[in-house]
Amino acid sequence: MARDACTRLGLGYVEAPPYSQRTIELGVAIAPEFVCFPMKVLLGSAIEALEAGADTLVTVAGYGACRFNYFAEIQRRILEREGYRFGMVVFDSPRDSFGDFYHNVRIVQRAAGRHLPSLIKSMVLAVRKGWAYDEIDKYAIAIRALELEKGATERAIADCREILTGAWKNTEIEEARRAIKARFDEVPIDRDRPHIRVGITGEIMMSMEPFFNCDIENWLAKKGAVIERSLYMSDLFTPMGRNPVAGRDDEEIGLTAAPYLCHEIGGHGQINVAAAAGFARRGFDAVLHFFPFTCLPEIIAKMVFTRISSELDVPILSISIDEQTGRAGMQTRLEALIDLAWNKRAKKDEARDLAAAGT
Amino acid sequence: MKVGVPRALLYHHYGECWTSFLETLGVEPVLSAATSNDTVVTGTVYSDNETCLPVKVFTGHLLELKESSDAILVPRVVSQYPGMKACPKYLGLPDMARSFDESLPPVLAPVMDLGDRRGRWAREWHDLARDLGADTDRASAAVKGLVGGLQKAARAKPPAPRTDDERDITIGVAGHLYNVYDTRASLGLLDRITAMGARVTTVEEVPRRFIRRQLNTLPRKIRWDFENRMVGAALHWSRTASVSGVIYVSSFACGPGSMIGALIEDELGEERAVPLMTIILDEHSGEGGLITRIEAFLDMIKWASRARRGAPASKAVQP
Repeated sequence: MARDACTRLGLGYVEAPPYSQRTIELGVAIAPEFVCFPMKVLLGSAIEALEAGADTLVTVAGYGACRFNYFAEIQRRILEREGYRFGMVVFDSPRDSFGDFYHNVRIVQRAAGRHLPSLIKSMVLAVRKGWAYDEIDKYAIAIRALELEKGATERAIADCREILTGAWKNTEIEEARRAIKARFDEVPIDRDRPHIRVGITGEIMMSMEPFFNCDIENWLAKKGAVIERSLYMSDLFTPMGRNPVAGRDDEEIGLTAAPYLCHEIGGHGQINVAAAAGFARRGFDAVLHFFPFTCLPEIIAKMVFTRISSELDVPILSISIDEQTGRAGMQTRLEALIDLAWNKRAKKDEARDLAAAGT
Repeated sequence: MKVGVPRALLYHHYGECWTSFLETLGVEPVLSAATSNDTVVTGTVYSDNETCLPVKVFTGHLLELKESSDAILVPRVVSQYPGMKACPKYLGLPDMARSFDESLPPVLAPVMDLGDRRGRWAREWHDLARDLGADTDRASAAVKGLVGGLQKAARAKPPAPRTDDERDITIGVAGHLYNVYDTRASLGLLDRITAMGARVTTVEEVPRRFIRRQLNTLPRKIRWDFENRMVGAALHWSRTASVSGVIYVSSFACGPGSMIGALIEDELGEERAVPLMTIILDEHSGEGGLITRIEAFLDMIKWASRARRGAPASKAVQP
């Protein structure tokens, strides 16, 4: 999405290399000891981008009480101490300070040499394209476990990404979205295959990025899990609290989370509590919760999850991720959760069959 | 009717206002005892292993009140100052409290949003007062007392530094009140420093206007209120050279603390005016490490000041 926006605006951009062990090591080496894992990774990523020749870092500051709000400033200080020279544009949420937001927009506008309306239009289109990207993910994780032919989903993903890369205008993007939906409808699936339903929640970077969560989506699909995720990147950039990809708005989130978490707590805390409660009420067999070590909002969510889990009778596994996380330890815990979910599923099916036989 | 008030976290800021609110209603406030080893152990067992020390201490206090009270007051503090935000932990505290133990008495969680100049949050306290069985007049009086008390506390002049103290070393301790004033959580940090022959000054002794002046020099605003004051105070001490050393006290896994700790380190490190030591507290009760570190810090300051005055420092080195 960011790449798309830059291309539209004619700004030169440097893409940070994909996350790797080196990114983590670079970040961990110079980050303060107790900042949370995504910040260490972002720091490493920023170094890699600067090494690749970037001269300006564009970043967003979190909205709300989460410490991400102050991270950009710390990041700038650390990098400057390390001897990097660069400019930095930090976007605050317009809800916090519209003045600062506008000031930053003007900086970008000058760099791009464009009028404000055309700039806004470009950004809106970039966000829309982001929705479409996330929808590819959303469709893929829902059907991967049920595909008849191995690899059919992967091929569909590749096709869809290609369709979308060529879409620039609003009509083209809309058309691409329709094409993506049609392409996924074509993937042959076996609806009667026994499967479990798993909801994934958690801090966005940890729950989305396959590098950090050990490619959880593919792994779960192999175990026969149909997945639904609570957070998508482009939803965060959509104003007014509508989340078109996940399909909920903020008011609804507040209502769903209500008996368990009655206030917005920064980060994605409330969204995740709402999602977990929603998954549980809709009869999901298990909920997975990924969060970075010492993340503030997610720890509150985790404590609240114990109550959701016992009251709504759903297994919830919280996994804390940091630079020490190993694949094997995580998989053992996941396997236990999956077994539990299959057992629950079997019991539920049995009860349903009994009820059907009784009538 | 007895309402429990855990002696932890923001009790150290607003506790008196909360208990007097309850007393005005004719409800007996039950305070948990001062933090003991048992409190910390219970808290550590029951709360999540990744939370910060103050939340674990809070959990200990909360569970202590389980038997002795009919309800527990855990106000949801949304903001402590206009334009500021609270740490996510304060925001989710009542919800966390409800999920610890099913047999816990009901948790009363009125919102307290001091950032709202129109004081709309007072309505929730009024409703709470009515729920606790007070009539309208009494409820209004209690809410008025609460709001008045909080305003008075916000406007109160900082305690004047003592002038009769002869000791020439002053240590500025920048840390949360719930850590610094909890003798168990901080392992008696303040008393230990005093016993080792230094004067202690804390964040609330620095007037708000000095803090504001220092904060204006920062390129980006900090949005947590007390953290703001800690940074402002540390900068004030450093730039006016009013202390001989700064100790920054934080707790393990403190979110805002990890950010402003890095900030203070960076600023003070560049200015090189006063030495800085960071102490991170956790639930362990070993005091030896803390004592050694404070001693070393104070010794360093003493030698540095003697060296500056040209006196031989060698006498102090040998025991």
